[in-house]
Amino acid sequence: MKKIAGPALWALISIVGAVCLAGIATNRGEPVNSFWIVLAAICVYTVGFRFYGKFIAAKVMMLDDRRATPAERLRDGHDFEPTNKWILFGHHFAAIAGPGPLVGPTLAAQFGYLPGTLWIIIGAVLAGAVQDFIILFCSMRRNGKSLGQMAREEIGKVGGITALLTVLIIMVILLAVVGLVVVNALKGSPWGAFTIAATMPIALFMGLYLRYWRPGKVLECSALGFVLVLASIFGGQAVSESPTLAPMFTFSALTLCIAIVAYGFCASALPVWLLLAPRDYLSTFVKLGVVVLLGVGVLFVHPTLQLPAMTRFIDGTGPIFAGKVFPFCFITIACGAVSGFHALISSGTTPKMIAREWHAWPVGYGSMLLEGFVAILALIAACSLQPGVYFAVNSPAGVVGNTAAQAAATITGWGYPVTPEIMDSLAKEVGEKSLFYRTGGAPSLALGMAHIFNAFTAATGAGKAILAFWYHFAIMFEALFILTVIDAGTRVGRFMLQDLLGNVYKPLGRGNWLPGMLFTSALIVVSWGYFLYQGVLDPLGGINSLWPLFGIANQLLAAIAFCVATTILLKMHGAKYMWVTCVPLTWLLIVTFTAGWEKLFSDQPRIGFLAEASKLQAVLDAGTAVNIAATKTQIFNARLDAFVCGLLLILVTTIVIDSLRIWYGILSGSRTVNLAEAPFVLSQLQAGEL
Amino acid sequence: MRRFFAGLLALLREIGDESAYSRHLTAHACQHSPEEWRRFSDERMRKKYQNAKCC
Repeated sequence: MKKIAGPALWALISIVGAVCLAGIATNRGEPVNSFWIVLAAICVYTVGFRFYGKFIAAKVMMLDDRRATPAERLRDGHDFEPTNKWILFGHHFAAIAGPGPLVGPTLAAQFGYLPGTLWIIIGAVLAGAVQDFIILFCSMRRNGKSLGQMAREEIGKVGGITALLTVLIIMVILLAVVGLVVVNALKGSPWGAFTIAATMPIALFMGLYLRYWRPGKVLECSALGFVLVLASIFGGQAVSESPTLAPMFTFSALTLCIAIVAYGFCASALPVWLLLAPRDYLSTFVKLGVVVLLGVGVLFVHPTLQLPAMTRFIDGTGPIFAGKVFPFCFITIACGAVSGFHALISSGTTPKMIAREWHAWPVGYGSMLLEGFVAILALIAACSLQPGVYFAVNSPAGVVGNTAAQAAATITGWGYPVTPEIMDSLAKEVGEKSLFYRTGGAPSLALGMAHIFNAFTAATGAGKAILAFWYHFAIMFEALFILTVIDAGTRVGRFMLQDLLGNVYKPLGRGNWLPGMLFTSALIVVSWGYFLYQGVLDPLGGINSLWPLFGIANQLLAAIAFCVATTILLKMHGAKYMWVTCVPLTWLLIVTFTAGWEKLFSDQPRIGFLAEASKLQAVLDAGTAVNIAATKTQIFNARLDAFVCGLLLILVTTIVIDSLRIWYGILSGSRTVNLAEAPFVLSQLQAGEL
Repeated sequence: MRRFFAGLLALLREIGDESAYSRHLTAHACQHSPEEWRRFSDERMRKKYQNAKCC
């Protein structure tokens, strides 16, 4: 009976998944309930985990529980420590889940719910989880080495340097783009600005509490911090309603940009224990809690999707960012489907904590599928908004017009009705002055989340007041961990710069030399700060140029990770299983190079950086520029973006050519195969130790 | 249910570095003190924040 029940259950899950997918893919005209998307994702991820993940674990990697992992062999109680697989699963998931899987799908919803849904479901199973899992395995078999170290050892010095430079560029673009998301969420919002400003003294208080008053009590301290942050949300409401205080916390985008840059510098230079670490603990706990809450909320409320399966903007004329559904949907959603950044996490702390080799299957493959599920939840939250509202919030003034009436008329003209009255009413409900031009994804995601959370509390009769609370809770949640990404990222960028510049002038490489520390901190902050400033000044909202650039950079890093993984698989098995990594690698190269080429050379100024620079230059030459200095800056920015995009493509071309050379050598037998794995040691770990 | 909450607490303690601190005390056969926590957390954070936070 058992022999039949197992296959029958898996067949049933597969059929349900296929029916749900077919249903959402072929449905036109009728609103679709989000329940079908959730069910499709759960079924596909379950089948993918059980069969494809297990196939990779058993056949491709040949995981062996008899083999002692680095956590056991190099156990030191700090970095190397065998850890229970479910604890490590949660730990790894908390490390890979950043703002990307929330913001990317929200932005990609401009194409409708279908392209993003299919990419998140299929991409996570065949590409994202495969990358995370294989890189985790490779690092685990190499004593926890980083992606850069493995690239250097497996492909060569060029690979190592290329990986390092690509990561540095990604860091700069990432910090700018997430900074822009926060700026756009907080501009003109005294409630949001007060809440986020209050998190600074709260984090400082937590730092001192943990350092001097209750050392070691991290959970207690974080619980206290969470209560204070909730109090600050209520405080924000009082501030926004006060005629004296509200103007003091109403900031322009430029002011917020300067504040975030200054914050990044201070956070990078201050002791970690004072600001960064307590904020990081708090934001991680809040992040996990909100993800669970959102999951339960979507399952409980299962809202109907208001956006169509595909909007008219698949033709490339989208207001949020320009470009056709192919390739731009696939670079807009990176985290959630496949993200190169995960390769850095999978070759960081996690491989040093795996107790048994088979634990890498749920930890590496499974946690990426969970992140894909989070991306699906974010997409549902965004698509459950009325299309007119979604586009009114996310479209920049440069596209839809400078007044509420113009913007509403433009968006209604696209076939997505909205009126200034509807937007005003919604803004009042959530305690904001206006919700027009709130680009960046965070406010529309917060609106969607607030509506879902509010459905829980609607029965209490406090519906509308609670909607405002949930909106600002969601904004606080997004801003809180984006700021953690900014301060941790700035610090990491500083270390990378110190490593690089230490080769030019040795003292700069010393971590304890104050002038060097301040100089490199300033350099990294100015780098991402300039891109943030550029995004703030951009009449198209900044997201149009910065998010695709970030997506291209992130996917190219994934391509580098797949090059390393393919090289290792070739060394292990010859050509037998290289399709496992070569198929996603080929897809990523096609997508990113097409997107990169279009961003460079498209003749449409909203897409191509060089076309934009030429158009602005023509305006300048004709003497019709309204603001000559601003136009010159925009021309420089477009050319700078083109340079960064071109540089990324050149770097990855270099590493791909270098990899092809190595692969040819291995397959033709002209190169000695040196699988740099740690030698086999029999595990002595007892089950009771976990 | 009890196992679930025990697992959840263990996860939170791991994320919050409390478990790592307990292991540190055991490994070095020392008692908890404010100085010991500061020594541990300084070293832990120095390593932790050499790695990027994910996007």
